[in-house]
Amino acid sequence: MRLIRYLRVLGIFVRASISAQLEYRVNFAVNLFGSLLLAGGTLLGITILYSDGTRLGGWSYRESIVVVGLFTLVQGSIGAFLYPNLNKIGEEVRQGTMDFNLLKPVDAQFLISSRNINVFRLTDALVGAGLVIWAASGLENASGTGALLGLCLIVTALTIVYAVWFMLSTTAFWFVKVGNVTELFNGFFRAGAFPVSALPGWVRLMFTFLIPVAFVTTVPAEAIIGRWNVGSVFGSGVAAVLLLGVSRWFWTYAISKYTSASS
Amino acid sequence: MRARLNKTWVLFSVWFAHMSAYRAEVVIWMLSGAIPLIMMAVWIGKARAAGGQTGGFNEQRFAAYFLAAWITQQLIVAWVAWELDYQIRQGHLSPKLLRPLDPMWEFFAGHYSERLVRLPFMLLIVFAGLLIVPGTRLTPDIWHVLLYTLSVTLAFFTRFLIAYCIGILAFWFDQATAIDDFYFVAAAFLTGAFAPLEFYPPALRAFIEWTPFPYLVYYPVRVLTGEAPGPEIVRVLAIQLLWAAGFYALRSALWQRGLARYGAVGA
Repeated sequence: MRLIRYLRVLGIFVRASISAQLEYRVNFAVNLFGSLLLAGGTLLGITILYSDGTRLGGWSYRESIVVVGLFTLVQGSIGAFLYPNLNKIGEEVRQGTMDFNLLKPVDAQFLISSRNINVFRLTDALVGAGLVIWAASGLENASGTGALLGLCLIVTALTIVYAVWFMLSTTAFWFVKVGNVTELFNGFFRAGAFPVSALPGWVRLMFTFLIPVAFVTTVPAEAIIGRWNVGSVFGSGVAAVLLLGVSRWFWTYAISKYTSASS
Repeated sequence: MRARLNKTWVLFSVWFAHMSAYRAEVVIWMLSGAIPLIMMAVWIGKARAAGGQTGGFNEQRFAAYFLAAWITQQLIVAWVAWELDYQIRQGHLSPKLLRPLDPMWEFFAGHYSERLVRLPFMLLIVFAGLLIVPGTRLTPDIWHVLLYTLSVTLAFFTRFLIAYCIGILAFWFDQATAIDDFYFVAAAFLTGAFAPLEFYPPALRAFIEWTPFPYLVYYPVRVLTGEAPGPEIVRVLAIQLLWAAGFYALRSALWQRGLARYGAVGA
């Protein structure tokens, strides 16, 4: 019953966000142009990287485009779901309005993670999904099973991104001034536009274990192009569950230390 | 003259104090502009896979190029489009217009003094980069560093004025910051922060040469690393001066028209 109540609340948030944003219809055109520009630029980059005729970390041109598509898709999801919600935590702590979230009869983490959706940034996600489908349709090893597994891995990838982003935003309880700490993730996430095997040894390790960018784009892409291995699929699941748990713990810890703005 | 020097000094020292208070933010912003560092890893990976070098670039040459590109990108950052957009829409610009000083100089002092806050951390990253790829030579001698300082300053003027022109558009419509985002995406791929322009398809390269983009990162980098011969350095500096002057003229024209409009709206 609790689940139904949460889904109903979520439905209300989605409807409210959409109706608030449809007022600014020009934004749709502007965002779509921005998405196409970003995808075009990233494609140009990949073309340049392949211009000397060698492969990138053992990935063919088409296969790399699957990674580019996933990268664009995840960026769109961040812009649509994470950015408009989690980046407000700092602001709310500073102004003291965080208290109202903690008083509501729903889970506070759920509340602050789902209130706003930037519908227009979904254009990035659409362009990304389009790139993945277009690139994968030309690959002979792509199969239905791989696509299904890829879909599951995209879900774990988004979970990982959410957990990391949420932990970074939660630091706002202590570092009120550091409003842009999630930019750190944005900076490093750029590496997710390339297959992780394209990077030299220790950088690859860093982007797998320290900053789990590899699980976000490379691992789902491997499933989609039919080159997945059990180890990384398993690792992706474990990383998602672990990070989600840690972020939940960190959040509970943060609000237990929270003393409101005025006290 | 004395009064003017004094005014300049006060402006810069106040803004330096302001920016030092935000040093943690500055470091975060610095790390968020990591494209050249990531591309350094990707291209070095490519050079290794191709047996030591690709397109005439070996590991050390890539490292020097991208470290220099990162420094350059750090030194030309401008967020004035966002600030101007915000101040125009919120009306914070009005009190500034009453002062006997074009508000541009205040933004300029803010940006310029922020470079000093960046410097220590920048040197740290460059030093780490030189250690990680042994044998990298960033610059041949002190003269190239001095010429680079001149070149990167002109590049900064150009980028600052481009951002200023974009910010002024907020007088007319409320999506000015979206245009700066477009600029950002275009610049990521056209300035040379993504790859040395030698790797671009010739037709595209020919087109890029006619835009200000390569004069923001690619050519200043060539000046610092010593790859550009003497005549090229002279040509680069001259063209950079032209671009900066061009955008300065554009910003003056836009500013006057925008102000006329602002008065009409605010009254």
